[in-house]
Amino acid sequence: MKAPVIEVKDLVVRYNGQPILEGVNLTVYEGDFYAIIGPNGGGKTTLLRAILGLIRPDQGEIRIKGGSPLEMRDLLGYVPQYRTFDFRFPITVMEMVLTGRLGKIRGIARRYGRQDYRAAEEALATMGISALAGREVDGLSGGELQRAIIARALAGEPEILLLDEPTVYVDVPTETQFYEILDRLRRRMTILLVTHDIGVIAACVNKVACLNRRLYTHDSNEITEDMLQAAYHCPVDLIAHGVPHRVFREHEDRD
Amino acid sequence: MLSVLGYEFFRNALIAGLLASIACGVIGTYVVVKRMVAISGGISHAAFGGIGLGYYLGIDPIAGAVLFTVGAALGMGMLQFRARQQIDTLIGAVWAAGMAIGVLFVSITPGFAPDLFSYLFGNILLVPAGDIRLMALLAAVILLVVAVLYQELLAATFDEEYAAIMNLPVERLVLLLLALIALTVVMLIRVVGIILVIALLTLPAAISRQYTSRLKAMMLISVFLGIAFTMGGIWLSYLLDIPSGATIILIGSAAYAASLVHTHMGRIR
Repeated sequence: MKAPVIEVKDLVVRYNGQPILEGVNLTVYEGDFYAIIGPNGGGKTTLLRAILGLIRPDQGEIRIKGGSPLEMRDLLGYVPQYRTFDFRFPITVMEMVLTGRLGKIRGIARRYGRQDYRAAEEALATMGISALAGREVDGLSGGELQRAIIARALAGEPEILLLDEPTVYVDVPTETQFYEILDRLRRRMTILLVTHDIGVIAACVNKVACLNRRLYTHDSNEITEDMLQAAYHCPVDLIAHGVPHRVFREHEDRD
Repeated sequence: MLSVLGYEFFRNALIAGLLASIACGVIGTYVVVKRMVAISGGISHAAFGGIGLGYYLGIDPIAGAVLFTVGAALGMGMLQFRARQQIDTLIGAVWAAGMAIGVLFVSITPGFAPDLFSYLFGNILLVPAGDIRLMALLAAVILLVVAVLYQELLAATFDEEYAAIMNLPVERLVLLLLALIALTVVMLIRVVGIILVIALLTLPAAISRQYTSRLKAMMLISVFLGIAFTMGGIWLSYLLDIPSGATIILIGSAAYAASLVHTHMGRIR
């Protein structure tokens, strides 16, 4: 059995008194490609932000390789769903990707060294956007920008990659390429992906859970109807849009 | 025309314009790219409270202005981070309260408040030599801080959340930037006055943004634009005997309008 890299125990997060996450238990092992699906507002982003140490849990505990999120942050790469930055900001793709290295540099007056540039160039190459290095972020298409944001996460050479709705801004052909890239990345790092779109769960995912305030796990890559039912509180149509190797169970009829 | 350079007051005015341009080119760039124009307006108007306090206590009004601008900047910054207050509401409150405190102090100070008009609208031709030394010190501090923390400030102004994940002290960096804005505002009060500070802080950076996508280049171009506006304004105001602060701002505004027309026409073609 491989070692757990993320352990979430009895996690409770409230916002203005309302529980966003309740009694969430999650264990992600080294090498997992873990997908968490759930409706919008189900707490997926909150869970990732708690793992990153951006939100303090009201109850429960989060350990990353045995340490606290704040201590172990530099092992994590993060691809946020909401673009927290201003598109008009004067910054090039290379400069933006390099900021993903800042966590590896200590002290004040941080400067990028040769190793930082090498890691940033590698990340751009992995995402297939080396040619965009000198381009201003302001002129990029949605898909290009999303690749740049993932490259920023990869530049930090993370052991664990957290992705929040990574395909929300990309079209279907790009999405397919995108999962090919993730399939290659999973050999190098543990991946935890959250999405509201059941149709995007690719074949390469090895574990799936459903999140809607509580987490429903099955410790396999199979989404059972019970899990979906529990997460969405209503029967969910499990029609996959022409993607092969789908791992859903037979759809039972109910009234 | 050049004979006027023989006067100390005129040389002081040019040096003050130069120093103010360096500060507002560098700090104004952050103000524009991080969309802190309104908060800078709040900080500059809070300065009037400090100037009123200075009159009332019989100390240098500029010292009062430093106290009030830095206090307002750090107060608004911390409230935004900690109390999750809407920033535009905070700015509105600080903006008006600063002016109100100033009016109150000036009214209860016995006698006449000299130079009050020049604090509101600036008079670069009246900058004393002591203020020049203070301005030089402030400009040096600003350049040093930005040079040392360039990458940190770039990351924190571009994407606060990601910078936090990179273990940068984002709150402290943003508060430091706000304090630098406050000090820049104080420098600019001498040049263009409280009411007009916001324009000199933002116009050079807003123009240079249209011609470059690099932060460093933006700063450099903004400094030179600031120098052109202040030098041009001082010269024109001397020549036509009109207020210097207003002249500087109108030259800057005209240049901004021209740059908008220029880049817009370029896009149509």
